[in-house]
Amino acid sequence: MSMLRGIALRIINLTVILLVVLIVIAAVLSGPASQVLKDTIQRETSEMVTTIMLHHPMTPAQAEQLKQTIIKQLENAYGLNKPVYIRVFYVLFNILSFNWGFSYYPDAYGVPSGSVVSIIMFALPGTIILDTLGILLSALIGIELGLRAALKYGSLYDRAITYYGAVDSGIPQWWVGILMILVFAVYLRLIHSPIVFPYGGIVDPQYYNVWLYDTAKAFINPKILASLLYHMVLPMLTVFIVNIGGWAYFARSVVLNIIREDYVTFARVKGLPQGQVVSRYIMRPAMPAILTSIFISIPFIIFGGFLLTEAVFQWWGLGYVLNIAIVGVPTPDMPVILADTYMSTLLYIVLVFILEILIYYIDPRIRESQG
Amino acid sequence: MAKVSELRIAGMTLGEITKIYVSSTLGKVSIALFVILIGASIYAAVTLPPNFGSLWNNPLYWQIYPKDAPPAWVNYLSGNGYAPQVMFGREVSTQGSTVRFSFEVDNEYSVPWRDLYIVIKPMSGSSTFTAYLSIRRPDGYVITIGPLLISSMYTEVGTTQQVESQVIQFYLAKYGYMLTVPQGLSAVPYIFSTVSSGSLKPLKGIYVINLTLIANNPSKGIGNRLISLVLEGNVYGLMGTDAVGHDLWLGLLAGFPLSLEVGVVYALISTAIAIAVGLAAGFMGGVVDEVLTRLTDFVILIPAFVILVVLSVLLRLNIWQAMLYLAILSWGGAARIIRSITMQIRTAAYIELAKVGGASNLWILRNHALPQILPYALYLIVVGVPGAILTLAGLNFLNLAGANYPTWGNILYYAEQYGALESGMWWWVVPPGLLIVLVAVTFIVTALAIEPIVNPRLRR
Repeated sequence: MSMLRGIALRIINLTVILLVVLIVIAAVLSGPASQVLKDTIQRETSEMVTTIMLHHPMTPAQAEQLKQTIIKQLENAYGLNKPVYIRVFYVLFNILSFNWGFSYYPDAYGVPSGSVVSIIMFALPGTIILDTLGILLSALIGIELGLRAALKYGSLYDRAITYYGAVDSGIPQWWVGILMILVFAVYLRLIHSPIVFPYGGIVDPQYYNVWLYDTAKAFINPKILASLLYHMVLPMLTVFIVNIGGWAYFARSVVLNIIREDYVTFARVKGLPQGQVVSRYIMRPAMPAILTSIFISIPFIIFGGFLLTEAVFQWWGLGYVLNIAIVGVPTPDMPVILADTYMSTLLYIVLVFILEILIYYIDPRIRESQG
Repeated sequence: MAKVSELRIAGMTLGEITKIYVSSTLGKVSIALFVILIGASIYAAVTLPPNFGSLWNNPLYWQIYPKDAPPAWVNYLSGNGYAPQVMFGREVSTQGSTVRFSFEVDNEYSVPWRDLYIVIKPMSGSSTFTAYLSIRRPDGYVITIGPLLISSMYTEVGTTQQVESQVIQFYLAKYGYMLTVPQGLSAVPYIFSTVSSGSLKPLKGIYVINLTLIANNPSKGIGNRLISLVLEGNVYGLMGTDAVGHDLWLGLLAGFPLSLEVGVVYALISTAIAIAVGLAAGFMGGVVDEVLTRLTDFVILIPAFVILVVLSVLLRLNIWQAMLYLAILSWGGAARIIRSITMQIRTAAYIELAKVGGASNLWILRNHALPQILPYALYLIVVGVPGAILTLAGLNFLNLAGANYPTWGNILYYAEQYGALESGMWWWVVPPGLLIVLVAVTFIVTALAIEPIVNPRLRR
């Protein structure tokens, strides 16, 4: 009972934060978002008036008047003539209700419909796969490496891990991606290596249709799955190189603090096997602290690193779409940038939420204090 | 005489701190790295012309530079013998209408020069010239080129129809060889080649290039001008060139002062905000603490990068404005640390003693809190720099948050746009990223080195 209450409190807490983030974003974006909406209204009204004119012939002046009336009514309905602080909530509502309008350059994204919702939704699976797998695997490997380093405190291995972990946070992930492509895609081809990696992409181009319209099917088809894994090697390697160090560094410093505690020494003296000491007496109290310390650095990791890495590898995800919307089209494609921002924020909040639940679940101190 | 009170930080005098810092390996490394960074920044500030930004963005200025050329030192590694850029210049001051001079160049390279430019400075719109070139080759033959009409500052010789046919004529007459110059490519490399056993070979040796320049308006004469001949090389300088011909060494150099300034100013601003918020929350407690802690949690959660992307697109931010917004968006982690330190200080016994003794809050703040917080603040400043440099480089990689000068992230953006990656142009892709890493790592190493000073528990 108390546990459920604690989780419920966390959920409420995070939802409030998500809402505040959204309101801030909406306030910042209310200008361009209104513009996007106005463009959509203009466009839809023109279409509407054209359809009406097929059945009811009008003079151009009449048609123009009708158009203006409809635009005015729609703008009223959408609250575009309201002051900014009220419009923010209209923007918020539009964002939350997936009313994202149309891309200015519908052909640029390889998705047939120009609606922003479909552009973003098609990009979502790629991002989720790369980010979840990337964060999860690099966390597992990194914590393991950091733990071993702490257990062999002062050894050469320990120092190597420490320096690697420290330097790691100064390397731009997207640039490592560029190096990976340069070495494993370009130079391996130059020396006619039997194993080469693709320049980019998420699956082979002939599978794009399956990937976009029937992502679930793509995972069942072994050929497409193999192609996906093949394309994932370089991005994943990049994510590992840049993220494992950070996890290892945090894990090492937390474990080092705990390892000196009396109860650990006592457990050792008691003659418990090393594995049990590590798993029950060291890792259990260490995990919340490791997770919390990684918590603060996540905004940089996720948003700086992954989005640009996707862009470099042309990995069909939110970052790839964002890159197209900013530099791949003649003028910035505002509706897509907006929706992309919202979607990645949402993903990020979900991630934070999962982390919070995880910390809550494994840290009895938090459970007790709130329960 | 009153004793001058000695400044102590974390219980140590400045001399002791310096000693600890310099005695550790990390401290030495960080000092060395800083010397490199600051040295490069000063060198850049002194050597780059003040209008470097506009020069960089003016493609005309770079047209006599080779395009996509690797650095000159690849010759030492590969032994391929790529011809480097060669430039001869001569100041001319005459009222006559004809100048004639000759240059010598030793071709010892197996891949000869790509093109030849005649550069005349200054060049006003009304005066035009006619140029004749005669090139005496090591085998004794002479190729004559001209007349060429010169009406702008830079005249490219190699790709004109006339020059092509003159070179082809030369090959027909001397070797009976039917030369084909590929469409759109320069004929200049063939001037430095010969035919042996039916195929083209580079002809090594001394070439004498004679240039005759005639003013088309005899009444004006040549006047005061700097006349240069430029042989476009296949390799260039220390860092090579990009697709526009930019000398990448200069571009990389310009990034040093910029990224250092932006990173440090960011860290100062964000740490200042963090100290203000953290101190206020930690010291005042109560409602203020509650509100500020919530605010801090919120700022920590804000996805700064995407918001910066949107703002940069919307407001067309330059790198300084983007840095400012980033500072406003990302002081959360530092504020949380400052607050917890302040809380520790506030609950300490000596503070209660001071209060009992009648000390005001401000006095406690100045004499107890700030001296303990300042070393942490210094640490936070150093720790904050790499994140900002990485984030802003990421923005630059999206061609956002630009500056007058080229930035490393922006050079990488153009590299990706021009397909430098697919064509394996490492000299365009690797150095900018390495420099970003170098600056970030310098600050990380410094942070590691000052950690034992800031955190006495780590002191050995």
